[in-house]
Amino acid sequence: MPLLEGRGLTVRFGGLTALKGVDLAVGPGEVLSVIGPNGAGKTTLFNVITGRVRPTAGSVLFRGEAIERLAPFRIAQRGVVRTFQKTEVFGALSLQDGVAAGALAHDDPDPAARAREALSTVGLQDKAELTAQQLSYGDQRLLELAQALAAQPAVLLLDEPASGMNHQECTHMMELIGKLRARGLAIVLVEHNMHVVMTISDRVVVINYGEKIAEGRPEEVRADRRVIEAYLGVDRQADARAR
Amino acid sequence: MSDTSRRRLATAAVCVALLAVPLAVRDDYFLHLCIVAGVFVVAVLGLDLIVGYVGQLSLAHAAFFAIGAYTSALLFVRLQWSMWLGLPAAAAFTGLVALALGSVILRTRGHRFIIITVVFAELMKLVATNWVDVTRGFMGLPGLQIPTLYVPGIGAIDIASKERFYYVVLVAAILAFIACRAIVRSSIGRKFVLIRENEALAESLGISALRYSMIAFAAGAALAGAAGSLYAHYVGFVSPDLFNFSYVTIMLIMVILGGKGTLLGPALGAVLFTFLPELLREASHWRMITFATILIVATLFMPRGIIFPLLEHLVPRRWRIRNAAA
Repeated sequence: MPLLEGRGLTVRFGGLTALKGVDLAVGPGEVLSVIGPNGAGKTTLFNVITGRVRPTAGSVLFRGEAIERLAPFRIAQRGVVRTFQKTEVFGALSLQDGVAAGALAHDDPDPAARAREALSTVGLQDKAELTAQQLSYGDQRLLELAQALAAQPAVLLLDEPASGMNHQECTHMMELIGKLRARGLAIVLVEHNMHVVMTISDRVVVINYGEKIAEGRPEEVRADRRVIEAYLGVDRQADARAR
Repeated sequence: MSDTSRRRLATAAVCVALLAVPLAVRDDYFLHLCIVAGVFVVAVLGLDLIVGYVGQLSLAHAAFFAIGAYTSALLFVRLQWSMWLGLPAAAAFTGLVALALGSVILRTRGHRFIIITVVFAELMKLVATNWVDVTRGFMGLPGLQIPTLYVPGIGAIDIASKERFYYVVLVAAILAFIACRAIVRSSIGRKFVLIRENEALAESLGISALRYSMIAFAAGAALAGAAGSLYAHYVGFVSPDLFNFSYVTIMLIMVILGGKGTLLGPALGAVLFTFLPELLREASHWRMITFATILIVATLFMPRGIIFPLLEHLVPRRWRIRNAAA
């Protein structure tokens, strides 16, 4: 049974349909990537799963239980935690205090230890006393991941974690995601970097104009004609193959 | 000497100085100002929980202060409840009013929240003014008294004099400070700060912004209600003037220029901005202009409040970090 499942997710904003009957499922120890052109509905999908947007139709099931009507904080407490496309950190707080937020939310008996563990996982343990504002952009993206990890997720939704990162930082992020998968986390990834997507995904879902147009293993999706037309294009496909 | 020992010594010195005030100063007006400052300390510690820790600019705080004053006054006038019963009842009732209000308005943020708190304060003033059968309208409720204090083994102590009531207010201010410090150092207080720093992120990690904002709002209002009760029994009279906007303005000045989100800053602000206008009386016609100028200069040059320059100049660096993060 999948850990997280979306069934027929539809979202309409007035006359605009942002999502049209999207199905997806992810299980423990699996990386599912959601790709598609800008404005395809990927972030809306994350917003629906995490309770920030209520679906017009369809449901989100976590461990078989419908969660689409729950408040965002309740969904996070159940174990579905996200990061954001635009970096979100507790800017004025020390890394240690900010990362402890997720542990505090779960009434962890030792939030400080949980925060240290999460910072250590992403490699920021030596910067624990700095404030988030003092970090480089790449480190802030890692900090976001640490914040989410301290909330002890079963499902982790990563919204463009590698965006704006250089090659080295990107590689580090991919290694981290691999480690988290090995720990049994279910990971849903929205990412534009095709190298990242094709390297670390177990399955890929492609969305275009709010509709799922393909799903399968990375190599299957890369060869799908509709995906090439709608998103990858000839140049990007060649690029993805070359990598 | 260790940092802890020094801190304890400094705290003990401040406590001794505060205890010695009525013994050292015989001036009634000075004691009156000390009592008013103490009442404001209790009220603004509550406001600091809302403004400084959760980051919501509430303009309803003077209304909570007045609701507490009226609750205590009505319980005294109608049911002959002494201040010892009236004060906790006023705090509890005001906290409940804030819970009811907060459950609706804390779903909003920013300017909408501010406007609703102003409207609430004005509505409460209208109720106090026009519900004449209960509040006597503009005539107010006079004749409130300071009760006797019964101490086992000693008997009844008259605390109506300024020298003795000063100690009642001092104890109330210290208890309020200890309670607020316990809250802000608990996991609840840490969640307040996380909500203030990034509400959307805090929610996405599992923290209910509404729940914790309501806790801060209700606890802060309860403290304002308790302060209102103390004030009502001290001055012996309540009227709709207590709802005036000037009260919330001065409370916000105390919190923001004191150093919001620090507890100690607003407490110092309460003392400073109670005494400052009185000290400026010498300036006669220039008094309020001078006061306003001081406020503007303080805002420009001490944007984080007076507490931080004080900490930087008077407190060793290793003590500061902990205080600033409080």
